[in-house]
Amino acid sequence: MVVYPVPSGSYRRNFGDYLSCVRRPRIRTKEILSQAKPMKTWQKLHDHPELWERYFIREKVIRSIRSFFEKENFHEIETPILIPHPPAESYLDVFETTLLDRTRRPTPAYLSTSPEVPLKKLMVAGLGNCYAITKSFRNTETQSATHNPEFTILEWYRVGADYFDIMKDCERLLRLLAPSITYQGHKVDLVAPWERITVAEAFQIYAHVDFDEFFEHAPQIAKKKGYAVEKKTTWEEIYNQIFLNEIGPYIGQGRPTIVYEFPSVMAALAKKKASDPRFAERFEFYIAGLELGDAYSELTDPVEQEERFKKESTELKRLGKTTYDYDHDFIEALKVGLPACAGIAVGVDRLVMLLADVTNIADVLFFPTGEGFDII
Amino acid sequence: MGTITTSDFTKNTFIEFKGEPYQIVEFQHVNPGKGSAFVRTRLKSLKTGKVQEFTYKSGESVTEVPVMTREMQFLYKEGNTYMFMDNQSYEQFAIPAAMLGNYVDYLKLNDVYQVLVNEDQAVGLRFPKKVRLKVTEATEGAKGNTVSGATKTVIVETGAVVTVPLFVKEGEMIAIDPETGTYLERA
Repeated sequence: MVVYPVPSGSYRRNFGDYLSCVRRPRIRTKEILSQAKPMKTWQKLHDHPELWERYFIREKVIRSIRSFFEKENFHEIETPILIPHPPAESYLDVFETTLLDRTRRPTPAYLSTSPEVPLKKLMVAGLGNCYAITKSFRNTETQSATHNPEFTILEWYRVGADYFDIMKDCERLLRLLAPSITYQGHKVDLVAPWERITVAEAFQIYAHVDFDEFFEHAPQIAKKKGYAVEKKTTWEEIYNQIFLNEIGPYIGQGRPTIVYEFPSVMAALAKKKASDPRFAERFEFYIAGLELGDAYSELTDPVEQEERFKKESTELKRLGKTTYDYDHDFIEALKVGLPACAGIAVGVDRLVMLLADVTNIADVLFFPTGEGFDII
Repeated sequence: MGTITTSDFTKNTFIEFKGEPYQIVEFQHVNPGKGSAFVRTRLKSLKTGKVQEFTYKSGESVTEVPVMTREMQFLYKEGNTYMFMDNQSYEQFAIPAAMLGNYVDYLKLNDVYQVLVNEDQAVGLRFPKKVRLKVTEATEGAKGNTVSGATKTVIVETGAVVTVPLFVKEGEMIAIDPETGTYLERA
């Protein structure tokens, strides 16, 4: 049965007309919809059935991901979305809620921002190679073409591997989705090898900045480039502003780009590079300027991990943000022993955006948050 | 000149960028993997009409450029220049097509528009979200074609070509979003 929308406003007053639209559905419905305020996605789909194809790319992507990991003998794990401890990442705004027991005694609870910690605990328990495709939540990420506060994340972890092995996984997984894509009129060849450049090389090539000097004199370099630098401006902010303005938009054109070896300060859960601890074994990959994945060789040392959590907590306080107790259970697990491993988080919605050739994440979501909450 | 921060940005904010006046035509919040938030903007130069991107730190201060809105009548078009007149002072202002973007397709002769003026220079128009224009040429929709979503193209009084649903007829008024050129409704 087809359900027709009950129109609002003036139309509701004339119910006879509404009935007639049931008898002559096609044209009448269209006229009703054209009078409505911004159309909801389901209404657009009703009106333009050719749009379904774009939205069904999502299920194809997810099926391909599952078949890839099945062939690789990875276990698929369902991780909790309702969690007792938010992650110790200072920049994320978490959704807070309250868990009530039978006597309605409240306990703070949060919506998960990533399946990383539960997967790592199970790897301590002996799970081996594993992955999760799940919903994750990050508050305040509205009004952005590349973020939705509720999004689909893919994470996988390979035991006995480092971040270079994950780079190969990425190349193979994306190749399985498509040998090449055309995004916004530009062809991107997904066949390996992808371009690989270190963060330091990217700064040199695109921003003409010597990274050794940047470690020491970031504010002076930024000022010379014309960026506003105030007392409270942090090294990380300067790093990101240069990256966003002078590097990000230009990489991943023609073929994907892997940017690797991030400054250690920007990798809370990554292993430091043995030969140069100023850098961590972390990479991101970009296609057509869009950041798709964030990977590292995982930090397995419980002492260092706890120290970094405490540091993040101090940073949170400095920023005047709410601080949360970190997950002590996770530190306990690391003490038992996380095997050497590497893993990655990939934004599934962004993968779908690339394959659907759209620039707004809302165009690949049946129910984008902004539309539901009317905050577009 | 006033100082504003990125949280005051709207699509019609005029700011100084590298010493020159610009209009914010698009802005978006971005949260890179690690670190705080940023605002990615597309800025249109009020001098050349050229658009460029710049990403600000969230909360960064910028200088606002004072822009006045004056009602003016669209007189005529000469080459790539559009002439407007303030009906109160009879002052005439020229606006290059580059500053008007897609809006040029929906300008009607002799109609009155909100013209943006910065330091005695007309720099653009404040267009409404909807413009109502008459359909001057339309073919009949193919008979019996009731496939949902079927469309045709018509020509409106300004000469612009618009994609509309089949039921739109010649002589009718329709509403168009001048920014994107898409049909909104029968008006």
